[in-house]
Amino acid sequence: MLVSWNWLKQYVTLDMPHEELERRLMLSGLNHEGTREVGGDLAIDLEVTSNRPDCLGHLGVAREVGALFDREITLPPAEPPEGKTAVEPLIGVRIDCPDLCYRYTARVIRGVKIGPSPGWMARRLETVGLAPVNNVVDISNYVLMECGQPLHTFDYGRLGGRQILVRRPLGGETIEAIDHKEYRLEPDMCVIADARVPVAIGGVMGGAKTEISKSTTDVLIEAAEFDPTSIRNTARALNLHSDSSYRFERKIDPEGVDWASRRCCQLLLDLCGGELAGGSVDVGRRPPPREPIVLRFSQLKRVLGIEVPPERVRRILAALGLAEARADAASVEVVPPSWRRDLTREIDLVEEVGRIDGYDAIPEDVGVPMVASARTLDDRVVTRVREVLTGCGFDEAVTLSVIDQHASEAWSPWTGAEPLRALAPVLRGADRLRRSLIPSLLAARRTNETLFNNDIELFEIARAYLPRRRGLPEEAVMLGLTSGRGFREVKGVIEAVLERIAPDLTVEAVAADAPLLDAGAACRLELGGKPLAFIGRLTEEGRERFELRGPALVAELRLAPLVARASLIPTSRPQSPYPPVGRDLNFVVDESVRWADLAATVREGCGPLFEHLEYADTYRDPERLGPGKKSLLMRLVLRSQEGTLTNQQADELRERIVSACRERHGAELR
Amino acid sequence: MALAEFLAELDELVRRANARFEAVGDEAALEAARIEFLGAKSGRLKAVQKGLGRIDKADKPAAGKRFNEAKQHIEAAFEQAQQRLKRAPGTGAAAEGFDPTVPGIHPPLGHLHPITQTIEEMKDIMGRLGFTVAEGPEVEDPWHNFDALNIPADHPARDPLDNFYLAAAGKGVAAEPCPSPIDLPSAPPPGDCPTCVPVGPPANAPAALLLRSQTSTVQIRVMERTRPPVRIISVGRVYRPDTADDTHYPMFHQIEGLLVDRNVTMADLKSVLRLFASAFFKEAEVHIRFRPSFFPFTEPSVEVDMTWQGGWMEMGGAGMVDPNVLRAVGYDPEEVTGFAFGLGVERICMNRHAIHDIRELFRNDVRFLRQF
Repeated sequence: MLVSWNWLKQYVTLDMPHEELERRLMLSGLNHEGTREVGGDLAIDLEVTSNRPDCLGHLGVAREVGALFDREITLPPAEPPEGKTAVEPLIGVRIDCPDLCYRYTARVIRGVKIGPSPGWMARRLETVGLAPVNNVVDISNYVLMECGQPLHTFDYGRLGGRQILVRRPLGGETIEAIDHKEYRLEPDMCVIADARVPVAIGGVMGGAKTEISKSTTDVLIEAAEFDPTSIRNTARALNLHSDSSYRFERKIDPEGVDWASRRCCQLLLDLCGGELAGGSVDVGRRPPPREPIVLRFSQLKRVLGIEVPPERVRRILAALGLAEARADAASVEVVPPSWRRDLTREIDLVEEVGRIDGYDAIPEDVGVPMVASARTLDDRVVTRVREVLTGCGFDEAVTLSVIDQHASEAWSPWTGAEPLRALAPVLRGADRLRRSLIPSLLAARRTNETLFNNDIELFEIARAYLPRRRGLPEEAVMLGLTSGRGFREVKGVIEAVLERIAPDLTVEAVAADAPLLDAGAACRLELGGKPLAFIGRLTEEGRERFELRGPALVAELRLAPLVARASLIPTSRPQSPYPPVGRDLNFVVDESVRWADLAATVREGCGPLFEHLEYADTYRDPERLGPGKKSLLMRLVLRSQEGTLTNQQADELRERIVSACRERHGAELR
Repeated sequence: MALAEFLAELDELVRRANARFEAVGDEAALEAARIEFLGAKSGRLKAVQKGLGRIDKADKPAAGKRFNEAKQHIEAAFEQAQQRLKRAPGTGAAAEGFDPTVPGIHPPLGHLHPITQTIEEMKDIMGRLGFTVAEGPEVEDPWHNFDALNIPADHPARDPLDNFYLAAAGKGVAAEPCPSPIDLPSAPPPGDCPTCVPVGPPANAPAALLLRSQTSTVQIRVMERTRPPVRIISVGRVYRPDTADDTHYPMFHQIEGLLVDRNVTMADLKSVLRLFASAFFKEAEVHIRFRPSFFPFTEPSVEVDMTWQGGWMEMGGAGMVDPNVLRAVGYDPEEVTGFAFGLGVERICMNRHAIHDIRELFRNDVRFLRQF
């Protein structure tokens, strides 16, 4: 809202520097955006929040100044002398859509002389950014900027049938507005029509047909109240936003409708001449009387944290236009003015007193009581996971939660359900809520490839949205990563995460049959038979799908099961003081024998002497080992809690392990 | 003598000898060190060897083996020192051909995203002020995103053009049953009150889900299942339709604080924000200024500024929880009051790292990420 300093002076004495005024207004709710000099005047730009439409006019701002600086407000005259002819035979008004237009008033002035506005008015309009048009149009704009009530003036002579109909458009109706563009009217819009055709889009813009022109002699002055939602929808649908629609959307002062009409007529008579028809047509509903509100003085201290003396409270409320109905030592009862629709409750009055009295008085060093707070388990687990990943050389990415259809369809290992979809793309075609972080991370990988970056090692911890049949989706927190390293290295990173969070967790690795993953380098980790993680290398097709040049590995891990089994405060176990004994084992087994099974047998055979089993390698050599055979190399470390293991003891144990492996897995020592 | 004790003594000796031999700078010092540790008559190794005799018989072989290893270590350390002095007579460690400027070998360390670093620091500070982190869903129903926050059905904030509504269920959702999540042990979250009847959305609440436009939704969810006092912060992603440019992105992060209890006032709000700002920006002398503003879920509502480099810097929005919000979650506004505040993470993050384009944060160029 642009405010003209000279204009504002008409309603309230301004003897302070404008900087002081701006500062006080800013600290009481009208944020100061800037001030510009316009032809000897100041245009002060104030931000008006949506709850304060009363400040969308100079009078409203003047009232704020009055309350802040303890000044009286001077209202301009709005009692135009009426002529002998009554308005009734000149015009009839009917509202057919009371849900869209609450109230409509019309006055008629005949015999006006169209011309330019006087200099003072033109300058004020120019200060607030409105180009002068002619005296009649300028006056309606002027009154709008004065009190915030939008007005419209019609060329009475061009209104067909001495009739105003406020109605919904008939099928297929269009209107040429005063911007000389043609608008197609939709069924839920509100139009002002004469006996035949629409002459204005109610509350938004007037029509070209009844526009005030040089030849206009008789004027109909409309002051009305329209439904805010309908105005908002209409302005949006037509992409036609005006000073009028802006104010109707935010709700106008219902008691101010007639005042604005009279004020407009007063100026018209003063500046354009003519004769005002007697009375006005005023149809539609009247605002109900405002309910009184009781403010208990004790509530001020309870909410603001400071005492405000009752006398001061009552003075502030009175200055803001609230009529005092009753007061005692503990409370005051007031009736808010019609232009303050935002004041309906006690708490609203607390805010009024607080902001005018000044929030600066609120102390900023009170002792807020201490309470214990602990980091949540989720938080601690996620922090640890991040530590492991950065320790492993991965950089953290943050990617958009929504992806496009192509990426969404390429990869969804956690669910076969269709992804949730936003009605409008969040960004460039991305409208699918992701069911996995992998597509986003691969897109980030591609971005880095195109930038010729090396070592693209990225991870992200974020949610995947797994739809449920009803209600909100499951938002599964995932660790996703993409890497250019080998499969075992990436698997090792995931295993390191598991060990760091839940060292005793037993997970099962099974071959993953995920599309786009290389069957020879992909697996699924399962916990209790349910998938916990996917790890794998992209196939050629997978790389093409995500437009990647270099090799790419991916892994994704659900964090919730880890959180549930996290062991972040481990129990210390005594460490043996005795030396370890190492033994290398080289088993030849059938291809079908899995490392995990063989390793389990070895481990079991060691009993309490087991310390560590390290996988070394797998060899395949059909000539030496035989077809369908492989050799598994491992290094076993034994250690006793009770004494130094002798070579003999270790060899005996090794023999037992070898025979157990032979029995269970057909393994032969090489 | 116990084996463990003997082994510990050995280890300690090796450690000391290593340090000594590494430190010697000339022949004389080397000879002195040799006599001290390896002297045939009264060297320290000799002294330890005497302990070997007192070891239990069963442990003797192990002890002997370890003793020999230790001896070899110390002898090797002596020889190394000897070699070193020979190569650079009289010059100590600054050996010829040694270039100390050759870089070390770096371990591959990753980097945390600047958003994460900003959030973690904020959570840390708020944690010290007694606020516990609470989480809630990003896909929300209108009750939690709007109604309970005092944003009625006809409020402009609910406009489809200002929110990411989701396509209605049934239109393309759930072609097959979703796999059930891995079973979790069912312990109620801390602070939950078993006797408190949860207040949920009214039965006729519209079903259109949306991506949450603010983290205030979490406040509602927490208050619905917890009796006061409540002292939480919620951090997370929020979504609003915005054309991406230098300062806008349709997804960003918010951090919100909420404190509801008896006798909570705007003075508490101001004081908590001052402590937060002081801790986060590491400024001892910080002042907080409130400018009146408007949010549906707080009354009074304010914009918060803090002193910064001789002027004022905008921090975020705040206010006292609106009585309608308290009522919506089953609290009695006559009994408790509360404050809430919200800060945009990106703006603060960009400010502290001098990042000028918000899109950089989500592009994930590793060269960008490795700066932090």
